[in-house]
Amino acid sequence: MSNINSTLRWFLTLFFVSLLVACAMVSHAATPDAEALLKRSDTYRNGWPAYVVRVKITDYEDGKSDEEHLYEVSQKGTEKTYVDFMSPREKGRHLLMLGDDMWVYLPDTSRPVRITPLERLSGDASNGDVARTNYAADYSPVYLRTEKVGAVECNLLELTAKRKGATYQRILYWLRTDDARPVRAEFYLTSGKHIKSATFDEYQDISGRPQLRKLTLYDEIRHTSHSVLEYSNPTPRDLPDKLFYQGRADRF
Amino acid sequence: MKSRLLIPALLLAACATLNAQSPATNSDPASSESGPLQTRYSVSVIDDATFYSDLRQPIPTVLNQVLVEPSFGLHYHDRLSFSTSLLGLAATYSDNYSQLRVKETYVSLSAGDFDFAAGRKMVRWGTGYAFTAAGVLDPPRNPTDPGDRLNVNEGRDMVKADYVRGPHAFSLAWSTAALAPANTTLHDTTAFRYNVLVHGFDTSLIAGHDRDSDSFGGFTFTRVVGQAWELHGEGLWREQAAALIGAKCTLHSGVTFIGEFFTPPNTAYYRDMSISPLAGRQHYAFFNAGKTRLRELPGWKEWDLSGSIVANLNDHSFTGVLDVNRWFGNHFSSYLHMEIPHGAATSDYGSAPYSTATSVGVRFQL
Repeated sequence: MSNINSTLRWFLTLFFVSLLVACAMVSHAATPDAEALLKRSDTYRNGWPAYVVRVKITDYEDGKSDEEHLYEVSQKGTEKTYVDFMSPREKGRHLLMLGDDMWVYLPDTSRPVRITPLERLSGDASNGDVARTNYAADYSPVYLRTEKVGAVECNLLELTAKRKGATYQRILYWLRTDDARPVRAEFYLTSGKHIKSATFDEYQDISGRPQLRKLTLYDEIRHTSHSVLEYSNPTPRDLPDKLFYQGRADRF
Repeated sequence: MKSRLLIPALLLAACATLNAQSPATNSDPASSESGPLQTRYSVSVIDDATFYSDLRQPIPTVLNQVLVEPSFGLHYHDRLSFSTSLLGLAATYSDNYSQLRVKETYVSLSAGDFDFAAGRKMVRWGTGYAFTAAGVLDPPRNPTDPGDRLNVNEGRDMVKADYVRGPHAFSLAWSTAALAPANTTLHDTTAFRYNVLVHGFDTSLIAGHDRDSDSFGGFTFTRVVGQAWELHGEGLWREQAAALIGAKCTLHSGVTFIGEFFTPPNTAYYRDMSISPLAGRQHYAFFNAGKTRLRELPGWKEWDLSGSIVANLNDHSFTGVLDVNRWFGNHFSSYLHMEIPHGAATSDYGSAPYSTATSVGVRFQL
């Protein structure tokens, strides 16, 4: 009898332990790993450790296109970004971002100018929108829930800035559940003000890697304006460290 | 008059070029990449008229200037490059004159961590906006026009070597004054600079020697503090100490304030033409408030507005400056630049022979 009780106790213990493990696994499966999702979502905009991409920004006012800007963005890792301004009215400008530090080289000021975090926010598409696209390096993500954006099932993450180099204080980020592809984002300032929204409209296949091709930024303060960012010719390239040296005003 | 014909001709040629390149314009208006060879060019044409009011001397009241500024760059294999930037100036004042100036023309070679450059080149070691104490090879700052509205700054003729390793950069430059204009006080200069970014401080140490003149040593720094503030400063010892401290503050609205305090010794190197050699050390203050793109106001997105005051604190003279800029599309802009000096007739800024100088101009950029 005692053998039967002992065996029963052993089975019951095993059953409860298995149940706990199963519950833990189910619970784990139900709450996606926010960090992993964010890192995966970054690969749609940063496909290689070092690369160069052209970004064309078209500003729209009252639905009509009124301005175009063209940039060549060179990025190495998550900390180094160099932006060459190529539009006629901005020609000669460069922007350099090293971690939390940022400089802009204006041909008419005779020196590289340090940029404050607030200056990164100017324009519908800010300097940070062009130069700072590795969210996993700048933000701490928390999984909120699953939500539909249109017909697309998405995981909703809340990103909070973890360093001063981050362009925004808080981002709500919708990622497609199938593959963590960014679908929509809302950007907030420290004051809590909802400043911009973004839709990630089109992707292109580059050497077997899906990469973002078109992004639209909506100004939530002035609802009449929005900007379309088009990414073209993303190319992996071996970029020398000295390209990202802050003392070089004499760029090409 | 020839320059008056030249401008429309250039604009027509530029427009024709734009039309001819129409499909390429959307991708890159002025560059081409074919294999290892990359070229870039730009052309800027400025027609500027300056009106002087209440002149205290019998000089013309209007200065007309037409400036044509072509620039061209050639890169081969990201290793060898050639850059040139010229300035053609035709002016009408007390007489008509024209000049061709070389702003920059240099070749550079990149080899591993080393960069070498030779030719006329602009370097900018000073961190000041309106003044500089340590910019020993920089173009001169004009505090009433720190943005160099007409792009007339020229580089120095030099041979320069840079070694960049991680956050550390070492530069050695030797500049000759042999080709400098006769009326300048430039000397042959040998200068060394060590630049490093550490804990957010972009810091430089500078040392060197002017041939047949002084040795010098100094430092510069910039640092961003919090969300809105940038601090910068310079110090240089050359016979005596010169120092500059400045700050920039940006508001959420995009309005930017810049303030600087500069104290140079009254030595031949730092002395302004209007300052007596018998005067002591000078103290200057600069304050600027400006906003680019008044996008909050409907219809004002293309406007930039800026106002400055630069003052000599010793003789209490100052100049107020107003700048307004308006863009028309991607290639044309117009501007207004107004300077209003105030002070005693013998003072630094009050000695200007006019009560107001108003410049208006049209700028074309390709």
